[in-house]
Amino acid sequence: MTREQFQSLADAYGGEIARWPPDVRDQAGLLAATHPAFAQAVLTQASRLDVALDALPRATASRMLLDRIVASAPAAPRRRNWLSWLLPAGAGAALAGATAAGLVMGVQLSQASAVSAEASAQAVADLDVSGLAGEG
Amino acid sequence: MNYGPATRTGVASSDPDEALLARIAEGDAAAIRALVARKLSRVLGLAQRMLNDAGEAEDVAQEAFLRVWRQAPKWRSGEARFDTWLHRVALNLCYDRLRRRREILTDDPPELPDDAPPADHALEAQDTGRAVAAALAKLPDRQREAIVLCHYQELGNIEAAAVMGVTVEAVESLLSRGRRALRATLADLVER
Repeated sequence: MTREQFQSLADAYGGEIARWPPDVRDQAGLLAATHPAFAQAVLTQASRLDVALDALPRATASRMLLDRIVASAPAAPRRRNWLSWLLPAGAGAALAGATAAGLVMGVQLSQASAVSAEASAQAVADLDVSGLAGEG
Repeated sequence: MNYGPATRTGVASSDPDEALLARIAEGDAAAIRALVARKLSRVLGLAQRMLNDAGEAEDVAQEAFLRVWRQAPKWRSGEARFDTWLHRVALNLCYDRLRRRREILTDDPPELPDDAPPADHALEAQDTGRAVAAALAKLPDRQREAIVLCHYQELGNIEAAAVMGVTVEAVESLLSRGRRALRATLADLVER
């Protein structure tokens, strides 16, 4: 590395060789060891600007902003059961209700009239076999 | 969006943010909070230094995260590092605002940013930070962008080049010119 290259790197990346691109650091260190007075003068001058730049306060995020951004994220999607993948929502619910009601009627005819098609549909819908259906 | 040199083989597998993105795509509340905690300060710092306006920087941060939520389910491993993508998104939002400012300033010349307090006034007030902010604000946008990315965001030159869509040599040139201009503007501070 030449002195001009060393100067150019300091002009671009500042007075800390550790913050220069990794692939030039070794050569820069070598030049600094060979020409310490030159390197010291260049790095000192560049470091003065680094120090000035660091006087700019860091941006700090308020808790309110953090909460607002978190709240802006979409909620978890509702898990879908196997039946909803097969049929549109309305038809699915109706079929589930009819199927469940029919099963109950077959087993307990005496209580068939008391079975709520709506509750049965919910029971079917609550079956968690979502692992069988891939997420789309 | 063209990332230019951003696409590098083998980057995706080491991207520390991808696992969080996958969980966010599933609506994982803990992952959402973790990503915001990890990235908000960086996005806010970037926007504040580009815009020199805390309120606008907050707006940019909020908008950037809205885009993250939209992007998470579509994120494709290996195309770019998430941090690089997020910087690009935030910078684009900053540039939208800088453009709007210029349009307004064209109609209203007395509010030119050059009317900001000169560095020596700020120094007299012992407000070095304000002097640096004013000096940064006076830089051409691309020079300021290069300095913000490399000095404040601590991106390497390759990643800064990827974010900016230019070569590493161009980044170095922008950095050199930007720092030279800052040294001149902040001469009282830098030379003492």
